[in-house]
Amino acid sequence: MIDSNYSRRRFLGLVGGTAGAAALAACGSSGPSEDGGSSGGGGGGAASYWSLSGPPGQEYRQASVDRFNKANPNTKITPTFFQNDAYKQKITTSIGAGQGPTMIWGWGGGGLKAYVEAGQVEDLTDWFGQNAAVKSKILDSSFGAATVNGKIYAMPVETVQPIVLFYNKKVFDKVGVQPPQSWGDIMALVPKFNAAKIAPFSLGGQSRWTNMMWLEFLLDRTAGSDVFNNVFAGQKDAWSDPAVLTMLTQIQDLVKANGFVKGFSSITADSNADQALLYTGKAAMMVHGSWSYGIQKANGGSFVKDGGLGWMNFPAVEGGKGDPSNTVGNPGQYLSISSKASAEAKDTAKKFFSTTLVDNDEMAGWIKSGGVPVLKGASFTGSDDAEFLTSMADIASKAKIFAQSWDQALSPTAAETLLDNIAKLFQLQISPQQWVDSMNGVIGK
Amino acid sequence: MATSTITQESAPRHGGKAPQRGTSLGGRLLRLNWVGGSLGWIWLLIVMLPLYWIVITSLKTQSNYFITNPLKPPTDITFENYKTVIEADFVRFFFNSVIVTAGATIPAVLFSLMAAYAVVRGATNRWLKGINALFLMGLAIPLQAVIIPVYLIIIRAHLYDSLLAIILPSAAFAIPLSVLVLGNFIRDVPKELFESMRMDGATEWGTLWRLAFPLTRPALVTVTIYSALQIWNGFILPLILTQSPNQRTMPLALWTFQSEFGVNVPAVAASVTLTTIPIVLAYAIGRRQLLSGLTAGFGK
Amino acid sequence: MTTLAPPAVRVKEPTRTSGGRSGAVLWMALPALVWFVIFAVIPLIGVLLLSFTTWNGIGTIHGSGLTSWKAALTDPGLPRALWVTFVIMALSWLVQTPISILLGVFIAARSKYRGLLAVLYFVPVLLSSAAISITYKALLDPNFGLSAGLGVSWLAQDWLGQSGLALGVVVFVVSWQYIPFHSLIYQGGVRQIPQSLYEASQIDGAGRMRQFFSITLPQLKYTIITSSTLMVVGSLTSFDLIYVLTAGGPGDSTRTLALQMYQFGFQARLMGPASAIAVILVLIGLAISLLLRRLGGRADESQLEGM
Repeated sequence: MIDSNYSRRRFLGLVGGTAGAAALAACGSSGPSEDGGSSGGGGGGAASYWSLSGPPGQEYRQASVDRFNKANPNTKITPTFFQNDAYKQKITTSIGAGQGPTMIWGWGGGGLKAYVEAGQVEDLTDWFGQNAAVKSKILDSSFGAATVNGKIYAMPVETVQPIVLFYNKKVFDKVGVQPPQSWGDIMALVPKFNAAKIAPFSLGGQSRWTNMMWLEFLLDRTAGSDVFNNVFAGQKDAWSDPAVLTMLTQIQDLVKANGFVKGFSSITADSNADQALLYTGKAAMMVHGSWSYGIQKANGGSFVKDGGLGWMNFPAVEGGKGDPSNTVGNPGQYLSISSKASAEAKDTAKKFFSTTLVDNDEMAGWIKSGGVPVLKGASFTGSDDAEFLTSMADIASKAKIFAQSWDQALSPTAAETLLDNIAKLFQLQISPQQWVDSMNGVIGK
Repeated sequence: MATSTITQESAPRHGGKAPQRGTSLGGRLLRLNWVGGSLGWIWLLIVMLPLYWIVITSLKTQSNYFITNPLKPPTDITFENYKTVIEADFVRFFFNSVIVTAGATIPAVLFSLMAAYAVVRGATNRWLKGINALFLMGLAIPLQAVIIPVYLIIIRAHLYDSLLAIILPSAAFAIPLSVLVLGNFIRDVPKELFESMRMDGATEWGTLWRLAFPLTRPALVTVTIYSALQIWNGFILPLILTQSPNQRTMPLALWTFQSEFGVNVPAVAASVTLTTIPIVLAYAIGRRQLLSGLTAGFGK
Repeated sequence: MTTLAPPAVRVKEPTRTSGGRSGAVLWMALPALVWFVIFAVIPLIGVLLLSFTTWNGIGTIHGSGLTSWKAALTDPGLPRALWVTFVIMALSWLVQTPISILLGVFIAARSKYRGLLAVLYFVPVLLSSAAISITYKALLDPNFGLSAGLGVSWLAQDWLGQSGLALGVVVFVVSWQYIPFHSLIYQGGVRQIPQSLYEASQIDGAGRMRQFFSITLPQLKYTIITSSTLMVVGSLTSFDLIYVLTAGGPGDSTRTLALQMYQFGFQARLMGPASAIAVILVLIGLAISLLLRRLGGRADESQLEGM
């Protein structure tokens, strides 16, 4: 019940000064109330924390909170977990109504920027300055998506999740081909797999962001990171770079060559059907987030254990300007502190940040979850998945640029248009030029 | 002439004799309606296929889910999913849903009946005309659009994170459609019946319960079921207006089996199966009453 | 003899309640009114006000006159969304109504096995949108769905990936869920058609088909109006199922007005235009319900009510 006082007054001031406010006031109870807020927890330094439910993360998030509460019996953190899609709507509504939690879990980037512009989250730049020891424990590349206009508004937590090219080694052996080293190799592999009645690439196209990962890599390999940085900076007509057209044409060429599994627009990533195509050998390759490893391990029988799964960073494009060591994905997850929380709650949150979230148990927990922690110096020896985790950590640390997923980096408005247009591009409903035109239309929005 | 027409047609109708008539009528209709007959069986197939899929999928392990034929029952049946579902406190979610649905539907329908009666009987009253127009306007209020104001009202009323927080707005949103449908029914009750009630010295309140209530039973049953279904499957109000797992209703509880990166399909199937069975049983048992509710009363 | 149908009643000028008495029933409307005003009308006023502002859902709200309305009305997606809404409404009515009537007539017969069928028919309406979408997405998956299960490769279409097919799938799934409910209403309607009507027409030598069209259908007129009202209003606001099934895709081919509003509001965080679309939705709903009221109510009364 920390952050309840400010909110209703404020919203009423907003929707109101109007009939709406009068009406709300007339029907509700008298005046701004003292409790009934959404944040849970008791008095003093109690803080609330909202995050995502379900495996693999919830268990370790809960464990962190438990550790903190045990060590600090006087200041309690109350966590509440929501399913991914539900969380997005719940957190927007709550913050909009001024009822958000003390600690706001998020993906950084554009979403965080919206909170910053609305004055909803605390500037942590000074705090990180004073607590350099905390900052030095976290991977530097993870701070990019936590930074808005040069200031840090969130603490990177949990794991880094690069996107990689997975492939089914058994299928490659069967067809007698080698994993691709370049875009040319990819295009050469397509007819061979198609001839063997195996889909070259699995793709859960119904989920849209799955298609987006392709463009992220292709653009980076073709043109380097400048083009998207310009888009991100809101530069006019930034998508009009010729490299964008080249890259969009390449993607449509791959679609036209039947590079993706038939009917990919009907395949959903949330049921993991795209990943099932790979481990059942119906598809040879798949571009997907590193979390897919855990899913294939759990659902694919002995596929992963028997060494059937291969992975690599996305290959280079011939003549491209981009550095092939770059990667894209989620450089971390992010915890912000609500600027509307009470001073005590903020202190509790900061204590949580500086102690529990950077301790050894935290690191061990996320390794156990099958992820690469955002904390430096992780050692994977002894883990079942040491081989995979080591190469993920390698990709993450060697990448000159760890770009954030576009839909997370852009404003929600632009992200929605982006996903829409990408889906149409993959269905060959629009030409590369049309794509560029409509995307230029939402730059900076 | 007109009066005799009324007696002819209304006597068999609200005499409650419909059930006795059913058998021979049914037999006739069956012969009448071979189109309906063949359609009936085809439709059964269409309805059953997804339901069958849900049941067999609930008996598979998650790792078998993509490997086995989606339409064949698994060779090694597992009840693990059901265990998971029960351990996830589904019983509580189920009863939360029952409380919310009953708590919202019953008052909403009763108040709607009263309002519909008032709107029809007081059709010439300026205020009631306005009230009726207001209800009509409410028919298509998209819940998504008004959720933030509703949220604020619930917080001001100190109801956040309680079942009552779901019940109150759910009932409010069930009112317009109920008033519309019930109003149409009451409007078609012959005025003579109201008139004779008045002659007998009945008050409007008495007329409502002794005349309108029994005559609109089919409509009452219809709107009750419709509203109850909407509320039972409602997602957005429970999501926004509650927080603690103790107050979750079933549509929310399904997310227990949706992880950050995917859905545990067999577990979802198990929870759907488990929570649907009690209602199907209740329906099977109560169907006779429900149907007689749908058939009694004045014709519609 | 067919004058036995309810309209015959209407020939007579009904004895009207006096205006003086109508005040006596006014209070009966109050509980519903108060409840409805608090939780629906006041929020709606809030939405109306928001439609004249610019708000990203989390920051400050700025009054901005007609900017949001302009943005909403000039968005190229709007005519498309109106059209999709209309098409889904019309198609699902066209699919659901005849099937529901025929099924209603079929299960109205009193026999054991049909009782069982009626119970089985009813199950789909009990399932939540999330459950239905998970089921159908799985069955329609081109690699692991129905086509694989039955070994019929024709079923491996790009069901959710092609505009026309996706629209068809939406209409089908909506119908799949709601036909059981509507056939239940029709079942009730059929059961109260007086048998004397059929006997009379048999004496006249009417065939079964003719009986269906000259007796059953006209007698079901008011049931049809009730059921259509529920269908049309329901499909106008229906959001959950389409959202979880296609999210409006592919592209914008299944994006209804309600989805368009959601995408403006909660995905693009443009609460102003989203509120404007919500107001449009309410107005459309009002127009449709007035239309249906005219069909349902008696003409003379409608005039008196000034509706």
